[in-house]
Amino acid sequence: MSIRQITLAFALAVTPALSAAPHALAQETALSESQITPAMRSALDEGGSLVIVDVLGAVCDFCALAMTRTFERRAEVAAATVDLDAKTLTFVVHEDQTLDDATITDLIRRAGYQANGITRPEAL
Amino acid sequence: MRAYIFAGALLALASGGIADARPVSYEGGRTLIVEHDRDMSAIWAHYTPHHRYSIGYRGEWHREDDHVFHGVQATWLANRWFGEDYQANLYLFGAAGIASGVDDNPAGTGAAGSLGLMADWETRRWFVSYMARGFAGETVGEKAMQSARLGVAPYVANYGALHTWLMVQVEHNPQAETPVGVTPLVRFFQGPLMAEFGWSVTDDKPFLQFQYRF
Repeated sequence: MSIRQITLAFALAVTPALSAAPHALAQETALSESQITPAMRSALDEGGSLVIVDVLGAVCDFCALAMTRTFERRAEVAAATVDLDAKTLTFVVHEDQTLDDATITDLIRRAGYQANGITRPEAL
Repeated sequence: MRAYIFAGALLALASGGIADARPVSYEGGRTLIVEHDRDMSAIWAHYTPHHRYSIGYRGEWHREDDHVFHGVQATWLANRWFGEDYQANLYLFGAAGIASGVDDNPAGTGAAGSLGLMADWETRRWFVSYMARGFAGETVGEKAMQSARLGVAPYVANYGALHTWLMVQVEHNPQAETPVGVTPLVRFFQGPLMAEFGWSVTDDKPFLQFQYRF
């Protein structure tokens, strides 16, 4: 095997890892530990997409429970959690599925709270 | 007689015996509440079909008056105010059913009901609430109660961790032998479970409450 062939094989082997790393790194540095659960991390590894919702009025565990249960019973959502410190609901949508902003706002309302902004880190 | 019950309930101010931690849940949420205060023991199971109201069964044993109540209670979230760091709520509630005397109370079974309101303001550190409730029964008479609470969290915990609150509740029950009562209590809150343990320093009686969100 020539030097050229070895170099090409090495480049092909590491390229996928290099291309995926900045995306994963960007997401993880932007989020605290309490905004990503192990189930959400698994869902992201399987190709899911992350959504972060700023929420008004989330001050207790019953508030957080209301939102996580409301979202986790949706077929599109793989996993969800609430960070009371960050005042966010974070969830992962299954690969090839979507949840538009209007639906998210309505689900937050049905849980008893109010959305104050929606971001999708993948699109940033 | 129905008008009498309704008017009696409306005229009476009151509280006590109504759990004051989100009596309306998320849509589809079910909650079981068991409580025991200086005057009454109660069980309440409610379902929230819409985020503005809940409906369920409520049973009360008014130990001081020797009567029981079984009925349906509806709670309406009249308004909720939101902020980044606070939440405030105004609830109106009403129950209708039957009441009858127990133990030494010879009162027969008759229609009964209650009406009330509850307001609270809460941050992750502070909690303030007020509640008023009137109860009237065809055979068991009328009753009015009101109460207020102040609470502080000695530390602020995130979702899933154990939350602890130190609270004091002041109850006013005009018909009671000692109308004003003071109950210090501690509230523990974690995930779907809330538990409160207190002691009425006025009557030297325990205060207990458990709530579970299914």
